[in-house]
Parts: sequence; structure tokens; C-alpha cells
Amino acid sequence: MSEGLTRRRLVVLGAAGVASLAGPRGLAARSELEVGKPVSPDALPAREASWYKRLPERRVECQLCPRGCQVADAERGSCGVRENRGGTYYTLVYGLACTVHVDPIEKKPFFHVLPGKTALSYATAGCNVECKFCQNWEISQFRPEQVRSWWMPPKALVNLAQRLGTPLTAATYSEPVVFWEYVRDAAHAARSAGLRPTVVSNGYIQEKPLRDVLPLLTAYKVDLKSFRERFYKELVRGELKPVLKTLEVARAAGAWVEIVVLIVPTWNDSEAEARDLARWVKTNLGPDVPVHLTRFHPTYRLTDLPPTPVTKLERLWQVVRSEGLHFVYLGNVPGHPGENTVCPGCGATVIKRLGYRILDNRLKGDRCPDCNRKIPGVWS
Amino acid sequence: MSDRLTRRDLARLLGVGLLAGPLGAATRGGGDARAGTVGIAPLAADELGQVAASGALIAVSAAIAAATGAASGEAAAARLFSAGDTVGIKLSCLAGRPLSPRREVVEALVRLITAAGVPAGRIIVFERSSRELQRAGLPLRRSGGPYLCYGIDNDYDPLPSDSGAIGSCFARLVSTHCTALVSVGVVKDHDLAGVSAGLKNWYGVIHNPNKYHDNNCDPYVADVVNHPFIRGKLKLTLLDGVTAQYHGGPAFRARYAFPLHRVVASMDPVAVDAWAWRVLDSERRQHGLPSLAEAKRPPRFIATAAKYGLGVGDPSRIREVMA
Repeated sequence: MSEGLTRRRLVVLGAAGVASLAGPRGLAARSELEVGKPVSPDALPAREASWYKRLPERRVECQLCPRGCQVADAERGSCGVRENRGGTYYTLVYGLACTVHVDPIEKKPFFHVLPGKTALSYATAGCNVECKFCQNWEISQFRPEQVRSWWMPPKALVNLAQRLGTPLTAATYSEPVVFWEYVRDAAHAARSAGLRPTVVSNGYIQEKPLRDVLPLLTAYKVDLKSFRERFYKELVRGELKPVLKTLEVARAAGAWVEIVVLIVPTWNDSEAEARDLARWVKTNLGPDVPVHLTRFHPTYRLTDLPPTPVTKLERLWQVVRSEGLHFVYLGNVPGHPGENTVCPGCGATVIKRLGYRILDNRLKGDRCPDCNRKIPGVWS
Repeated sequence: MSDRLTRRDLARLLGVGLLAGPLGAATRGGGDARAGTVGIAPLAADELGQVAASGALIAVSAAIAAATGAASGEAAAARLFSAGDTVGIKLSCLAGRPLSPRREVVEALVRLITAAGVPAGRIIVFERSSRELQRAGLPLRRSGGPYLCYGIDNDYDPLPSDSGAIGSCFARLVSTHCTALVSVGVVKDHDLAGVSAGLKNWYGVIHNPNKYHDNNCDPYVADVVNHPFIRGKLKLTLLDGVTAQYHGGPAFRARYAFPLHRVVASMDPVAVDAWAWRVLDSERRQHGLPSLAEAKRPPRFIATAAKYGLGVGDPSRIREVMA
């Protein structure tokens, strides 16, 4: 419970903070909108979507996510943030941040990206799946007019990051796929300003829009929610295969990729599944891709399950590591040794963490201080 | 935390109570003598699609009387509503003024409910947003006047409630405030659901309808209506069929609209949708279009709703009573 309330409060406070920080002197991209100010639900800024095709009878087919929604006039896609208006498809969330907050990069979690640094993290309303265990459902499962949002176009977002001294940006919290045009332009603006853009996503995206944005990103984190289609069908309302494809494309394109797997008791906590997942990652992405196994807490529509037992997480941690993955972490278990980065060469702890805090970073450049083995990641 | 538990427990208790109680039984299709009965009355419009208020009142009264078997519209309303009710009238206004329930039809219904003794301040005409009501020509009003009229405008329960495959935050108007509900829809084609009439109108009371449009909205439409918040309170479905649309929905498309010149009422929310399906398929045939089933968008949710015991979905068992 406390997590849900805290999160909501954080979202509100975060956005309010932005409003006060950005102020009326920010960039005003449209005459009727003021940077950092709330946007009326009746006046959502509509911008033509970048990835769709027109169909007969004023219908459109969205080409952003694998769902490929065919949307009639006056209707929206499954994400709830894209609307067909007379045969033209619009995103209603471009520049429409419902939360902006400064987070440690470890919270995303990225453990191999600028440890100890912060990311200006932002999101809009909406999501293209519906995880029954969503921690951020109060923004991800609502339409933009149902969530209080602020006008924060890409350049204003980057200006804010610079003023706050965050070297990274992160599209996160809800689902960046549904605000991909915003992600793309914010990443471009961040690059131009010398910042490092990152994305935290479910990876449920078509290949073309993914490839369009990947080159702009410093790092890409994917929630691999399970290694079973049944899980995706029954708990996520999505599919596994496209997510695996996304991981392959991202890795092959050279993006720094980390994977998070939320371990949900009785659903995806079998050793067999963990082993299958580990083998697939090692074979298709390589052993150096970090995999975070994180602890489930009951929320949203999955409140009848207990939190994942730590002993279960530890067992899966052993299983995945035993398959030859070099960097396997435990999440949502503060103080556990599974939070630390250990050199796969000599076994030395090179980064020691407590929750989102870095207690000790012994890396010398990108190498283990004890055996000089290269530790992959974005370290500087 | 305690708030969550209390609400959830309350919802469960409410559901059990309603399903077990006489109110639930009275509106079900199975044992109800009016199950499968659809009352139909003529209502013509002028060349601009407008109807006279007096004509609308006559038609709505006649349709409801025919649907309920009562001697008059007033008598029918007195059977359905009591002075202690708070009545929510959900309109379907997505298509804007040309294909939304007409104000005259809505106000005719309001007059009958008022005649049943329900005070004006407890008759609430509503839609998903105030903006949609405005666009459809309804007067926004949160106090005063013969009825209240406003949008849900994000006033949803703070936590989702499950019903079958759906999990949604329901409008508090429906979950908490209203004791009796009426669906006032239109007769139109829907690109995904096949038919948008009385049942699908209830998508407008959940916060996340966009999540439930796959598989021709089945079983999701039936799941929404089967939730105790609706199932236990739904008294009447009324369709403004003066203008209908056989293709190109849910938005208004003038080229596919046709004058049906009917007002349709039923205590059986499934039967009235089955009737609308039949009408739309008939019109589609006349225009050389494939049936909704052949177009791969059969309104499967009608059969599912019937399976849930919400009413009669078998077209051969629909009884049309012409007023």
C-alpha cells in the first residue's frame, strides 16, 4: 500500500516541481500552451503520428506496436493515446508529461550506465499492454485527459535536465512506446545538448520505429516480463515473441541493453523458465547483458499474491548465473549482495550498492581494478 | 490500505447482494415475462433530422409502454422507477449531434421518470465527458432545471473492479450515486464491435475501454454490463433510432446513415441489441454489403451477454411489440 500511495504522491510532487522550476519563461512551442503549465483535458495538443498508414473508409492502421490496431474514425488505439480524426492518426501525448522527476539511474534500473548519476525521468499517460501487476497503473492505464499533465516539449525537457544537472534522461514509468515521437525528439534534443537519453520499455514495439530511435539512445532497458507466451497472454495482454525480437534488434544495433524480469509468484518463478530465459539471453544477446530479477509486490489487479519470497529470488539468481550469464542482479531487495556488480573474471566486487545508492565504485575506467578485465557498460 | 480493502469488500458484498436479491432477479432475461420483448414506436424527423418534443414524448411513452406491457408511458415508468431512486441516464454521444440521442428523446424520457416521482435533482443525464454532451446538444447542468446533465469527467472509483475479463475503474455515478440506470443509445454500426446500441454504450462508464476492443469486444462488453454496478441497476434501454447508420461507425458518416424513424425500448438489454443487429444487417443487405458476420465483426458479445443471463440474444426469440 505505502508504495502505491508514495508513487502517486511522487508523481504529483514531481510534476508540480517541474511546473515551478520550468516557469513561464520556458519554451512555448504553441501559443496556447505554456511550458510547465497544466494542459486542459479538453485541449490536448494533437500531433500527427509518425508510424501509421491510412486505410479505406477513413480508417488507419497503427504501425508503432505489434498490436497493429486498425482504428476507425473517432476511435483510439488500444493504448488510449492515439486517435483517428477523419482518417489522420494523431498522438495526443506529444510533449504532454504527466510526471517528471529526477531519479538515480539505478532506479530504472541501469546498473552499467554511469553509476551514481541521475536521470531526468519523464512519462505521459498510456500503455500498449495491461499488466495486471503494473506499479504505475494510475498513469499507464489511463487516457491523457484522465491524468493531470503538463506541457513539456522536448527542448523544455532538456533545458530542465541541464538546469537540474542530470546527465541522463529517461523515458520511463508508463510505456515510452506509446509516446515514441516524444521520446525520439527528446532523445535528439538531449544528444544535441550533450546529455545521454535512455528508455525503459516493455519492448513491445515494431521494428521500424525501434530502429528509428535506437541510434539516439545511450541505453535501452526492456522488461522481459516472462519467457512464456501464456504469461504474456493472461497477465500482460501482449506477446513474448515481438519482445524477444526487439531485444535482438537492439543488441545487434549496438545499443546498451539491460533486462528486467519481475518474478511473480506462481506465474513465472519456475527454475525451468529461468533456465530457458538465461539460455536464450546467452545465445541470442550474449552473456554480458545484465539481467535484473526483481521482487514482485502485490498491486493493481494482482493483489491476491504475496511478495516474491527472497529465498525464491535467490534460487533463481543462482539458476540464471549457473547458465553462464555474467551480470545477474536482484532487485527490490535492498542490501542484498545480488545488488553488487561482481567481476566475472576474478569474482571481486567492483561496484557495491545499497538500493539505489552506490556505496563503492572500484572500477578503473571500464576495468576491474583487481584483474583488469573489461566490464561492459557505459561508464563515462 | 484500509480504504482499498473496504472498497473491495464493499464491491464484493454489493455484488453478492444484488445478484441474490429480488432487484437482480427482476431485470434478468430468464424468468422475466418481458424478456425478449422490444417495444417500437414510430418517430419521424423533418428534412433536417429534427423531431418535435411533443412527437418524441408520444413515441417514447408508447415504446416504453409496449416494452413493459403497461397501459401508458407514465405507468411503465412507475413500474421501473420509484421516488427514492437516483436515476442515471447514460447517453451515447461519441458520434456528435447527427448520430447521438436527440435532446427531445432524452427529455421525453426524463418527463416520464419525473412523473414516476423521481425528483429533478436525482435524474442525471450523463456521458463520458461534458464536452461530448455539449457537442450532442445537451444542456450542461449540475443544479437546477428538470434534470442534471454532466460528464463523468474523470470521476472514477479510485481502484479497479474486476468482472470477467475486464478490470476497470467505474464511474462513481454508476458505482456509488445511482440506484437505477438507463442506457440511451442509437442504432449504429461499429468498426470492431459490429453493433453499437444499448450494451456497448456502457463502455463509457469505465476508465479504460480502449483496452477491450479486440475479438469484436467479446466478452468485454458483456463483462462490463454483467458487473453488479450495472447489472443490478439497469432498468431500461432506449434507442433513438430516428437516424441509424449501417456502416462506417462508430463515427457519423452521412453516406451510410439512413432514416429508421423508430424509438425502441426494452427492459431486456440484450434483446434490444439483437434487434439492432437484425436491423443493421437487413439494411446492409439492401446496400449490397456483407452481413456483419461476413464482414468479420459479428457482435459476439450479444450471445455472451445472453449466456450471462442478461437477456435474450437469440433473434428468433425477440418479440417486437409495435406501439
